[in-house]
Amino acid sequence: MSDNILKIRDLDVFAGETQVLRDVDLTIHPGEVHILLGPNGSGKSSLLQAIMGVPPFRVTKGDIRLNGRSICDLTPDQRAALGFGMAYQKPPEIDGVTLTALAHVMRADATFATEAAALDMADFAQREVNVGFSGGEIKRWEVLKLFLQNPQFLLFDEPESGVDLEHIAAVGAAIERLARSRTANGAKRAALVITHTGFILDYVKADTAHMMVDGRIIATGDPKEMFEQVKSNGYHAA
Amino acid sequence: MNIQITQSPLSDAEKTTLSKVGYVAESERAATVVIADQEVRHISINDDQVEILPIAEALKKYVWVQELYFGLIDVNEAEEVQHLARSADTPVGHFIRVKAGAKLEQPIQSFCLLETPQVRQVLHNITVIEEGAQASVISGSSVADGVHTGQHTCLCETYLRERARCESLSIEQWAKDVDVMSYDRADVAKSAHCSSNKVMVSPVRNHCSRTSTTVGEDATAKDQSIVFAPQGTTRMMEGEIHLRGERAHAESLTRMVTAGGTIGNNAMLVGEADDTEGFLGCDGLKLTSDGEILSVPALRALSEKSQLSHEASVGMVSEEKLAYLESLGLTEDSANELIVQGFLNLKEQEMPAPVRETVKDMISAAKSGSM
Repeated sequence: MSDNILKIRDLDVFAGETQVLRDVDLTIHPGEVHILLGPNGSGKSSLLQAIMGVPPFRVTKGDIRLNGRSICDLTPDQRAALGFGMAYQKPPEIDGVTLTALAHVMRADATFATEAAALDMADFAQREVNVGFSGGEIKRWEVLKLFLQNPQFLLFDEPESGVDLEHIAAVGAAIERLARSRTANGAKRAALVITHTGFILDYVKADTAHMMVDGRIIATGDPKEMFEQVKSNGYHAA
Repeated sequence: MNIQITQSPLSDAEKTTLSKVGYVAESERAATVVIADQEVRHISINDDQVEILPIAEALKKYVWVQELYFGLIDVNEAEEVQHLARSADTPVGHFIRVKAGAKLEQPIQSFCLLETPQVRQVLHNITVIEEGAQASVISGSSVADGVHTGQHTCLCETYLRERARCESLSIEQWAKDVDVMSYDRADVAKSAHCSSNKVMVSPVRNHCSRTSTTVGEDATAKDQSIVFAPQGTTRMMEGEIHLRGERAHAESLTRMVTAGGTIGNNAMLVGEADDTEGFLGCDGLKLTSDGEILSVPALRALSEKSQLSHEASVGMVSEEKLAYLESLGLTEDSANELIVQGFLNLKEQEMPAPVRETVKDMISAAKSGSM
């Protein structure tokens, strides 16, 4: 067994004919929470979606490994089965499918009942997935969804954007609680979190931050220091 | 409780077959009628506010029923209808009457069943919900075990009198070599309300349906149909809604899915009177490169104060939605099935639980080709 959960090496990714990631290297160990900063269009969401295997992103060079196993040839459901889970930034609406029905298909009825209350979503049980949700409701559902899925490696794409102040503490606390908990098999989890505002850092204790610009990771360091640097100097390596 | 049984009691096999299309214990229904092959096999009445008779008896018993017979269906509409209108054979079908002012606590259930291979079933049904009455009707169509051939032709004329309310759910589960032709007409009178849900998801060889609803002053008509066509199934639907009275309102939603079969849907909404409102929604989903969906929603305004609109779409299952569900660990097949079931909007509150499960099973089986 490898001692790192996620290891990305020398990764190039294309969306159609456009290259979106170049020479990305990233290693995340068990129990760690990393954050990813960068301007709009820098490739942050592309990296998360490439890890999850979501179209249209395709790896043309390098490798992504989970617990030592290459996953580049796997479909999203196979990656999910190995332990990946992703909270989307802009998830699609699934008409006619209620949260309850989806939790049932995921065999997570009991977890839904307990965790929905923690995220103030108990009243959403019969709502259709993401249909008519506000920006904040989408983010709360996307976090709740990961509790149902119970993955070992958590990917969060801007989990705090659009969330009102009343709920951001609940979302942050839920992410921290999930990231610091262990899987059903007793394994430590790890997480990669994209954030623009940094609000989430008030609730989630991040270990490392990475700055992404033009599809490359150009700096790695302490999360709070890096955020202060971005606030004063913009997205430039120190 | 006064259960009145006429004709023959149903066999256990018949009850089992019909339970998949909505049949429940007759003590839980206001009334039950079952037509098997070419006879009215069974009638039971549990609520004296409901009257059910074979149509031939109703025509003899009530002079006014003769006025309703071909009162909404034009005998010249089609050669087949002309032939039936001129036939010397005793008509077969049911007459359902909910008496004026009745508020039924339990639904009426009505079924037709093909029990003999290659049988030709020809029915003419009349339903009357009288002034101020409120009723719900669950109807189902099915075939006996082992039967997969036959013909079913049905003429249905439904009258909702002033201030009547009727909610209906219709589930069909024919078989892959059955041909079906249906002519449905409804007259929704002043201030009446009609809400109808139709589930047509099992294989059938050809199903042609022609429906027309006339909506009177201050009346509303809402219908929702879910239609599925696996390989080998052709469904051609022609529907018209006429907003005939002032302030009449109608909403018609059709969700169609083809997994290799052919679906044609011509829907027309006609605004004939002032201050009428209507909406047509016709959405199609194509699961494979085989098959076809032709969706033609049409609006016709005869009054300048009629407000009509429609939405139509036809497409494949969204790759983005599939990936979203797959990233939750669902296989592509499971994700696809969930999207289709969601698209067909099998809402719990609109369908009895056993029927909902049957419908899900029908879709799964039809998609896998095992039906």
